[in-house]
Amino acid sequence: MVTVRLKPVEEIVKSLKPYRKVFVIGCQLGSGRCKNGGLREAFKVAGYLELHGFKISGVKSPGGTCILERLDSSDRSLIKEAESSSDAILSLACGAGTQLIAENVSIPVVTGVNTLFIGVERERKYFDEYCIACGECVISETGGICPVARCPKSLVNGPCGGAIAGKCEVDPSIPCIWYRIENRLRELCSLETLKKRVPLKDYRASVYPRRLVLED
Amino acid sequence: MEFREKLESGQFLITVEVAPPRGVSWEETISALKPLKGKVDAFNVTDCQRSMVRMSALSMAKLLLDSGYEPILQLTCRDRNRIALQSDLLGAWTLGIRNLCLMTGDFTTLGDQPDAKPVFDVDSVQLIEIAEKLNSGRLLNGKELNGKTSFLIGAVHNPFAGPEFLQTLKLKKKIEAGARFVQTQPVYELKIAEEVHSLISSLGAVPLIGLLPIKSLKMANFMKRLNPTSIPPSLIDGLERAKDPVLYGWEYTLDLARAVSEFGAGVHFMLVGKVRELADFIDELRNNRREGP
Repeated sequence: MVTVRLKPVEEIVKSLKPYRKVFVIGCQLGSGRCKNGGLREAFKVAGYLELHGFKISGVKSPGGTCILERLDSSDRSLIKEAESSSDAILSLACGAGTQLIAENVSIPVVTGVNTLFIGVERERKYFDEYCIACGECVISETGGICPVARCPKSLVNGPCGGAIAGKCEVDPSIPCIWYRIENRLRELCSLETLKKRVPLKDYRASVYPRRLVLED
Repeated sequence: MEFREKLESGQFLITVEVAPPRGVSWEETISALKPLKGKVDAFNVTDCQRSMVRMSALSMAKLLLDSGYEPILQLTCRDRNRIALQSDLLGAWTLGIRNLCLMTGDFTTLGDQPDAKPVFDVDSVQLIEIAEKLNSGRLLNGKELNGKTSFLIGAVHNPFAGPEFLQTLKLKKKIEAGARFVQTQPVYELKIAEEVHSLISSLGAVPLIGLLPIKSLKMANFMKRLNPTSIPPSLIDGLERAKDPVLYGWEYTLDLARAVSEFGAGVHFMLVGKVRELADFIDELRNNRREGP
């Protein structure tokens, strides 16, 4: 999922200053899962905005904000409702969802979150970045563990010389991912795959903006 | 005789690290090396070590060359993509720089500009491949150069890093990719020096054992934080007892250097201070070796 972090409410208030009526949209996918921009947080922020003199014209979540038909369909259009009732929309969806809202309404859209990374969730508490969407996946060779995303230097030929006692040089509170890769490949009896030199990455696969088109 | 010839003829090698100045005045950095002229075989010019901005290593290497010192240009993957790396390497060759030491480099957030965007387009193994490719007269994309380079390529190895299996594998990859010599992180025990020496030699490169004199307990603790297993308790003990820790640390390192010279291919001093003492030591070392069996 895409993880986000709620901006400080003071910052949100500041960016909404020119407007009076605000519609708050949360997102139940990434933002909701990481408890930084779901419906619950949307209501919380709305309450705070009311205290600061804003008029809240609505607080809703379409579920997945980055899916256009959830925002705008023939029987129910969240964005039309928001647009017709407000001076501005405050979106707590990730950068993608917020942009999709913005390009479909004629009123200003303000973001209330900083979009962080593609990660996994554990115990409803820990969120770790697992993928940087590099477009050229290597994890079949590395025991299903991505060194591109999970090593700060994105090293693909093995650990750096700063990997001491199983810890990462950049952040000693996290493990050097190459220890995990080695252990995993030992379990799978396929350490051999690490012996060949990994060629340079083709970064054309991650030149943005990217597009995926499904075949009919 | 050039560094390459000495290396190829199996001479005992002594290299020393030189950090470019933080600023634009370079004369002092070079004049400080004077006692080492003709004694040290090559000078490693560091590339913004510990991710702190210093004068370009390429410029400093050229200044060294012009002043009669043979440089080894260090180049890291932190600040340049493959285009900039190839470009700098071609520029270095053109300016007369013949030796390289290629490495991943410290991460940006560890330095004094932690807000910088790190590059790491390639890794150390791939950077060695790139330099080898230029040596074959071609760019990475296969395009022919109007003349080839003939760099002597070196790499680095930290005997204290892990996981050991993968560190060894990576070292092997570096050597297979074209590294002819390997400089190690500072070592403080003869046993480790012997082990890493034999590992690097067995993989087909010339090992230069890294030496960095410890000046104080504070420095020992700092080194311990970097590589916890590198500092033996006896060294800490000795520093605690020593009336003059600087002298103790210095002599400790020289003893190790003497021991390495008995079996080793070379040493790499990671210091700039104490150049006069180092020069005297090198004289002593070379004289003893000559007189030896």
